[in-house]
Amino acid sequence: MKILLTAALFVFCSGCSSLGVEPWERDVLAREDMQLTSDAAEAATDDHIYFSKEASSGGRGFGGGGCGCN
Amino acid sequence: MGSPCEVLSEAKTEAAADEITSVAASEAWRIEDKFSRYRADNVVDRINSAEGACVEVDEETARLLDFAVRLHSLSNGMFDITSGILRRVWTFDGGSLVPSEEEVRQVLGGVGWHKARWDRPVLQLQAGVEIDFGGIGKEYAVDRAVMQLREMTDTPCLVNFGGDLAVTGPPRHRPAWSIGIDGSGLGNADNVIKLSDGALATSGDSRRFIEKDGIRYSHVLDPHTGWPVRDAAASITVAADTCTQAGMLSTLAMLRGGGAEAFLSEQNEQYWCRR
Amino acid sequence: MLTGSRQTSISTALATATCTLLGSAAPSVVIAEEEPKWDFNTSLLYYGEDKSRVRDLSLKAIVRRLFTDDRVFSFGLTLDSLTGATPSGAIRQDVAQTFTRPSGNAEYTVPAGSLPLDDTFLDTRLAITAAWQQPYGESSQFSVGFSGSKEYDYLHLGLNGSFAKDFNKRNTTLSTGISIARDEFDPVGGAPLPFTAMLAVGDTSNRGGSDDKDVLDIVAGVSQVISRNLVVQANYSYSSEKGYLNNPYKFLSVVDGISGDTIIGTAGTSHVLRFENRPDERTKHSLYTQAKYNRGGKVLDVSYRYMSDDWDIDSHTVELRYRVPFGQDKYYEPHLRWYTQNEAEFYSLSLLEGAALPLYASNDYRLGDFDALTAGLKFGWTTRNNSAMSIRVEWYRQVGSIPGEQIIGNQAERDNYPDLNALIVQLSYRFKK
Repeated sequence: MKILLTAALFVFCSGCSSLGVEPWERDVLAREDMQLTSDAAEAATDDHIYFSKEASSGGRGFGGGGCGCN
Repeated sequence: MGSPCEVLSEAKTEAAADEITSVAASEAWRIEDKFSRYRADNVVDRINSAEGACVEVDEETARLLDFAVRLHSLSNGMFDITSGILRRVWTFDGGSLVPSEEEVRQVLGGVGWHKARWDRPVLQLQAGVEIDFGGIGKEYAVDRAVMQLREMTDTPCLVNFGGDLAVTGPPRHRPAWSIGIDGSGLGNADNVIKLSDGALATSGDSRRFIEKDGIRYSHVLDPHTGWPVRDAAASITVAADTCTQAGMLSTLAMLRGGGAEAFLSEQNEQYWCRR
Repeated sequence: MLTGSRQTSISTALATATCTLLGSAAPSVVIAEEEPKWDFNTSLLYYGEDKSRVRDLSLKAIVRRLFTDDRVFSFGLTLDSLTGATPSGAIRQDVAQTFTRPSGNAEYTVPAGSLPLDDTFLDTRLAITAAWQQPYGESSQFSVGFSGSKEYDYLHLGLNGSFAKDFNKRNTTLSTGISIARDEFDPVGGAPLPFTAMLAVGDTSNRGGSDDKDVLDIVAGVSQVISRNLVVQANYSYSSEKGYLNNPYKFLSVVDGISGDTIIGTAGTSHVLRFENRPDERTKHSLYTQAKYNRGGKVLDVSYRYMSDDWDIDSHTVELRYRVPFGQDKYYEPHLRWYTQNEAEFYSLSLLEGAALPLYASNDYRLGDFDALTAGLKFGWTTRNNSAMSIRVEWYRQVGSIPGEQIIGNQAERDNYPDLNALIVQLSYRFKK
């Protein structure tokens, strides 16, 4: 599992330097709706709901724990 | 201009950006060359070295003089372009050298707009009196540069001459330019202002002061007494339609000492004051 | 902004003088405002399951104080009010069943043919988070945070920290984070000893005290800007839990090996029941990938998560959001989420009478084999003065199944897996000052 993941990250990153935009092309990326987590409160709510109803949690960040509901 | 100047533009090509920058820069240099009191052979030098003789000035200089006269009366004499020579005895370098009463009195003899006779387009100064456009020039240059850029291009630009700045309009994809105000001079912003249109100017420099015997002397000098204005703010930033208006309002507020905030509120201005 | 009466004012005179000086009137009116220093994010959530199961009313506020140079202090507060009933782990019977309440000092009866629910599920939860985030050097930033929560029978305390560094003109960001927590469970009536039988009212001889667990989470990820309109990220997370991982309120029916019916009790409860038992360690690995794509102002958000743990649970989650702006300042956003997991290795519908006890067993539906679907729609609009509102309505459905070999005799005729349908309504209001 770990080896596979390291390999995946490596492949992912080796292509990085040719990707991306110049600083003045960040108009769209700077928008709030283009942030990876655009609604922190909603994300936290969902993490908490699914933490207490399913066997998986987190992934995006640290996931929704700290509750006796699971 | 005696301070770092920059132009931010959202030009699409390097050539367009170069053109915008050079238009602003050449206007800045033109004004600097023409009105700096540190340069020989310009109109200010001719006026200051006239030794009491009459000097006929060009239209642009005449307009600046008209403007200075108007400000002099609006400020009850606190704004005075002849007060520059007080700097000969006051050096605000963070040290503790306070001039003697006698030294101040001597140099104060050459200060006062009433010692000038302005009969457009002829200016006559008493011998020993000098003028200095330092309090207007930077803001005037920003407005002039912005006016030229507006005529030349639709590209959003921000012209910043040593912290006095104006924009030609909002940036393309954001509602406003973000401008940090570094009132403390420590390199971090106290406030961030979103400017979509208009100008911002800041008076005051918290690094320029004299401190002696526990008394802190601000670098804002009262032309009536020759001594620093009491309770002057560390810095005042004003937002206005033009950089000249913003700069003059912040200067006038500075000259009000402890009454700066009351003055600006009364004038219904947007301002940020640091003490 | 600068209108109003300022006749005869210095400001007006100055404007006139400036106009003369520059040879033209000011071409525009100043528009300036101070960048907000406070960001309030508040929401009210209703979560309700059908068949009078769990209901949660939750109030959440996240307050962010924005300092200059991108330094941010954030503080979050959540207040949950939970009511309702939750499946206890016992299976349906053709006759009524009686159970001793978790407190040990009362009993309740579940009618014949009904799914046994524990209806004492009632709690108030208060959770707080606090975090400080700031840049570190030219291209890095870090954050440190604290989390804590308290319920009647549960206390959580945690610390976390993370670090991110940008490369390649900020197009690539590598980040890593660690979180440690200690949770203490102090169940009502004391935690029952694993696999002991449910005793009659008043008999607490199988109850222990409180118990705790330690949780360690590590996340490492990369996000990459691909183009002006596309940004992607991939995270790997590792999670380790050690300590008391049982649910003290869940138990299993002990059944006859031929009929599958629960053995009739001889003392205390009507039927024979045993409290569940889980391993005291669990390690999870997950891989999360996400892409956000802008196409003409519409934003597509797609994510996929794979999770695998040493309880032999594997899960897949696919999530889709599509935000479509309309009008001047409104948007709607459909949301779809699909989730599937298989059962834990020790998941068990019931325990066999007379057979040796397994090492571990639990009939917690959340450790079973199920699929879940969420479908929702959010509607949002921004108002003047930096504020925004949104409402979302979502429907969540879980459908599970029991592995065929676990179903014995009469159990085949009963609905053994408690399907779940829930309605989620969240109202959010955000404003900056």
